[in-house]
Amino acid sequence: MAFTLYSLLQAALLCVNAIAVLHEERFLKNIGWGTDQGIGGFGEEPGIKSQLMNLIRSVRTVMRVPLIIVNSIAIILLLLFG
Amino acid sequence: MHPAGAAAAGTLRQPSKRRVPVSQPGMADPHQLFDDTSSAQSRGYGAQRAPGGLGYPTASASPQAAFLGDPVSNMAMAYGSSLAAQGKELVDKNIDRFIPVTKLKYYFAVDTVYVGKKLGLLFFPYLHQDWEVQYQQDTPVAPRFDVNAPDLYIPAMAFITYVLVAGLALGTQDRFSPDLLGLQASSALAWLTLEVLAILLSLYLVTVNTDLTTIDLVAFLGYKYVGMIGGVLMGLLFGKMGYYLVLGWCCVSIFVFMIRTLRLKILAEAAAEGIPVRGARNQLRMYLTMAVAAAQPLLMYWLTFHLVR
Repeated sequence: MAFTLYSLLQAALLCVNAIAVLHEERFLKNIGWGTDQGIGGFGEEPGIKSQLMNLIRSVRTVMRVPLIIVNSIAIILLLLFG
Repeated sequence: MHPAGAAAAGTLRQPSKRRVPVSQPGMADPHQLFDDTSSAQSRGYGAQRAPGGLGYPTASASPQAAFLGDPVSNMAMAYGSSLAAQGKELVDKNIDRFIPVTKLKYYFAVDTVYVGKKLGLLFFPYLHQDWEVQYQQDTPVAPRFDVNAPDLYIPAMAFITYVLVAGLALGTQDRFSPDLLGLQASSALAWLTLEVLAILLSLYLVTVNTDLTTIDLVAFLGYKYVGMIGGVLMGLLFGKMGYYLVLGWCCVSIFVFMIRTLRLKILAEAAAEGIPVRGARNQLRMYLTMAVAAAQPLLMYWLTFHLVR
């Protein structure tokens, strides 16, 4: 039962990194999840797919700079403490 | 005052005569601060010093008065204190945005009657009729007033008790070591965090307009620790059969409890009448409620099965 808070933090960092490195042109557009392909009209409510696309786009926009900082800290800590 | 008259009057006057010169400079100093600088900022500072100044002997009061009588340092101190007050206000406001500290106190406003009724509900929710919380506008309902309101006292106590009972169970099997306690606590907290994040993500994806706050969600998800404690204790007393029986009972109870509680929060419009409304949106919400409720027994089993041999 080695599921600790620290492993949760590691997993979260890896997931956010994964979202941040998705390439717009080569990947997301090919599966129809590009940022300019989304948004329907002013419908009643957005479906799950457009919510997910919005989420990916906002995570990529918001977390670029903090991710640089957090990744640098993680690299330094892993180098120091293994 | 009247030294000649006081001396003639006798000893009764003398203590008062001795007391007055001591207190008078103390009382005079704040007034001197008022009169000296005559600026609006020093008034508050002078009033703050007045109660303290009364008790001080004259020796320490006068150098302080001389230091603070200087208008520049007085203004600097007033500016510093106003800056500190502004900074404190800013920090409080920002912390309140991320962790609603002011709302937390409502979740701990419990009394014995509420705790008893809530524990009864957690073990036997089948006869309870009305699951709706009496609506209150912007502050959370204190659980003292409504048995349906979520609280954080029971989940917090149950979590700590779970860690202790896990240590006890490991100890009876000679598998105990102190760092295992920390490991159990960390593991349970990690699962709780993962659950909360997963539910928040799915609530966002399904665009549910709900008044279910994060703290409410943590409270509801923390109620399963009560069943886990019951199962492990019975497993300690009566072996595996007792563990499975009690855990099965608690799993079904928590399932029913969660469905009945979350139905009112997530399926707000449709559930009020109790009529299952057809439609893709409501069906998705119903699936979400069932998934959240079904995750509870799974986690209850996963977090306790290794403790009972």
